[in-house]
Amino acid sequence: MDERAIETDVLVVGGGGAGLRAAIGAAEKGVGVLLISKGSAARSGASLLAGADLTLDGKSLHELGFPGDPRDSKQKFFNDIITQGFYLNDQRLVEVYVEEAPKRVKELLDWGVKVNFSEERAIFTSGSSILSALLRRSKEVGVDIMDDVMLLDLFVCKGKISGVLGLNIKTGDLITFRSKAVVLATGGWHKAYFPNAGSRELSGDGVAAAYRAGAELGNMEFVTFCCNVLLWPPKWCGIIFPYLLHLLVGGKLINSKGEDFLSKYDPTIVKFGTSTEWNKSFVSIATALEVLEGRGSPHGGIYYEIGDVSWEEFESCVTKYYPKWKYKGIDFSELGKMLKEKKPVEVGPAAEYFEGGIVVNEKFETSVSGLFAAGECTASLFGANRVAAATTEMLVEGAIAGESAAEYAKKVDMPRIDKKNVVRLEKKVLTPLTREGGVKPAELKRKIQRMAHEKLGPVRNREGIEEFIQFIEIIKKEEIPKLYTTTKSRRYNREWIEALELENIVQVLEISAKSSLMRTESRGVHYRLDHPYTDNNNWLKEIIVKRVNDEIRVTTRPITITKTSPPSGVIPYMEMMKKMMEAHSEIGGHH
Amino acid sequence: MSLKNIKVKVFRFDPTVEKKPRYQIYMVPLTEGMTVLDVLDYIYENVDGSLAYYGHAACRHGICGGCTLVINGKTCLACQTPVYEDVIIEPPPKSKIIRDIVYTKQSRRGSHE
Repeated sequence: MDERAIETDVLVVGGGGAGLRAAIGAAEKGVGVLLISKGSAARSGASLLAGADLTLDGKSLHELGFPGDPRDSKQKFFNDIITQGFYLNDQRLVEVYVEEAPKRVKELLDWGVKVNFSEERAIFTSGSSILSALLRRSKEVGVDIMDDVMLLDLFVCKGKISGVLGLNIKTGDLITFRSKAVVLATGGWHKAYFPNAGSRELSGDGVAAAYRAGAELGNMEFVTFCCNVLLWPPKWCGIIFPYLLHLLVGGKLINSKGEDFLSKYDPTIVKFGTSTEWNKSFVSIATALEVLEGRGSPHGGIYYEIGDVSWEEFESCVTKYYPKWKYKGIDFSELGKMLKEKKPVEVGPAAEYFEGGIVVNEKFETSVSGLFAAGECTASLFGANRVAAATTEMLVEGAIAGESAAEYAKKVDMPRIDKKNVVRLEKKVLTPLTREGGVKPAELKRKIQRMAHEKLGPVRNREGIEEFIQFIEIIKKEEIPKLYTTTKSRRYNREWIEALELENIVQVLEISAKSSLMRTESRGVHYRLDHPYTDNNNWLKEIIVKRVNDEIRVTTRPITITKTSPPSGVIPYMEMMKKMMEAHSEIGGHH
Repeated sequence: MSLKNIKVKVFRFDPTVEKKPRYQIYMVPLTEGMTVLDVLDYIYENVDGSLAYYGHAACRHGICGGCTLVINGKTCLACQTPVYEDVIIEPPPKSKIIRDIVYTKQSRRGSHE
């Protein structure tokens, strides 16, 4: 065996914003920190693809020297996040979010992040700008970084975390990391879906590993689908540019019959649901219903048009935000031409954000000693629906998780890793390389992704979810154990990586589907055609999942309330959505 | 729908078992708007799963720099380079090859925004 063993006080898993901020938080406390990143740290993960907006209350924003809205307050922002989340949020986490957001934004400015524009309660910059600043800072405080290392599993010894088994993707070496504490900042499981708006490596590795290690997961039924995401041609599939255009500039959405299908909904819902980030839940559901009822485009979406404005007016507005039609590193002048010539631009919902994940408390401790989590891989901050920024989430949660992990690491001795566990795990991860034939990882990936979008997408029903659970059970039994790689080389073997990822994808999808089946109501981004109402009498609780004797144990816990009491009664879903939108404070902007 | 078939010539090399690099030719059905990264994905998913290219964490937005390759002799980002004709795909000159067109330090961590 050519495995190596590396020791560190705190091991951070994830090279996006949450991981880097956690690493900084831990290193500033004076402990040794090593960060492993599945791609290149600061140049991978969903943070890189973020718009990127950072939300904080307008008063604090005003005090930082931006226009902001001085009438805003932390309390108003708190209330809005709770109603946007349909009251399912853990209010302790929301308090932390609104309280810490201004500090995190201020330090980013101190670390050199440039702001492109600002509004009532948000500033806009780029994901790469935030990540570059965090990377510079992490180097200043002595964080060690290893790129292209995938988390395979967590080691637990006598109920406490003792380290991680990692794979150096480039060399194929298995690496044992021994650490006092581990912070998971592994993001969502976008790769379980097609289309998705994430970066390619996000396959729920951290969430699945935490589950295997005995940590609790929660709210796994809630998946945000970004609306108006490009579906065609393939090179653009999953890119959210028209989503931004529709939100910032305007335009019109039509179905295959040429109808302005949003006009059949309540005007208040349409107003909030197109002019703020409420659009992700509302427009995605409305789009999925058009597709389901046979009025969709060839690739499962609808069409985006510039609407009732002149081309000159539209283009001048677009290029104010995106000079020369350049969005991130992409030249979208070709899309501009398509819009100008009124050629069809197919857009639709794509998996973008995962409200559920690893259960944490306000110190970002999980239910396993020594295991911490931050960012999108955690549960409960945004409840059933996220409107405020996940970029602020990653910074706030990362900072605290890193500090908590460092404090914990100072108090414990370097744990032992049972050699037998290492050998057993290594043997398991190497098996796809030993099979001579069977199931091709890329084929299985495609099959699962399409099925997940169809049955566990923006619109669900019992029949579909049950069918999906059966589908996953068969895959677990008959296909996962047959995954094989064409080449047996361990050096950058993408089929091997995908075979390992698929186990995690299947695990999180199974948990998500079981949670979705259990929640017999519609709330936030979980919309059930067979239960089209929000049931505040029975469902103001979170679904919590834990591994017990190798089985998925599904239970519930009451929502965590610190300040704001939820409504009661059973309310038709669209009516509930309207109520939640109308409950918003007078503060404008997109959040 | 495929427009035509193109010939894709790819640099291949496993330094642990091979003495020198070789080139392999794949036939790929060209579709509308295909990029070099789409071509590599097509080969990996449909023709030859053994091909190594930096695809597991490619951002596809022209930001990460992970897919930097030499395409028809010119250094480009594979995800932002359109393909219309036959194409030759190689690693940057003098790079230390991990396997095929994956090489050491793939990301520049530069900003393209």
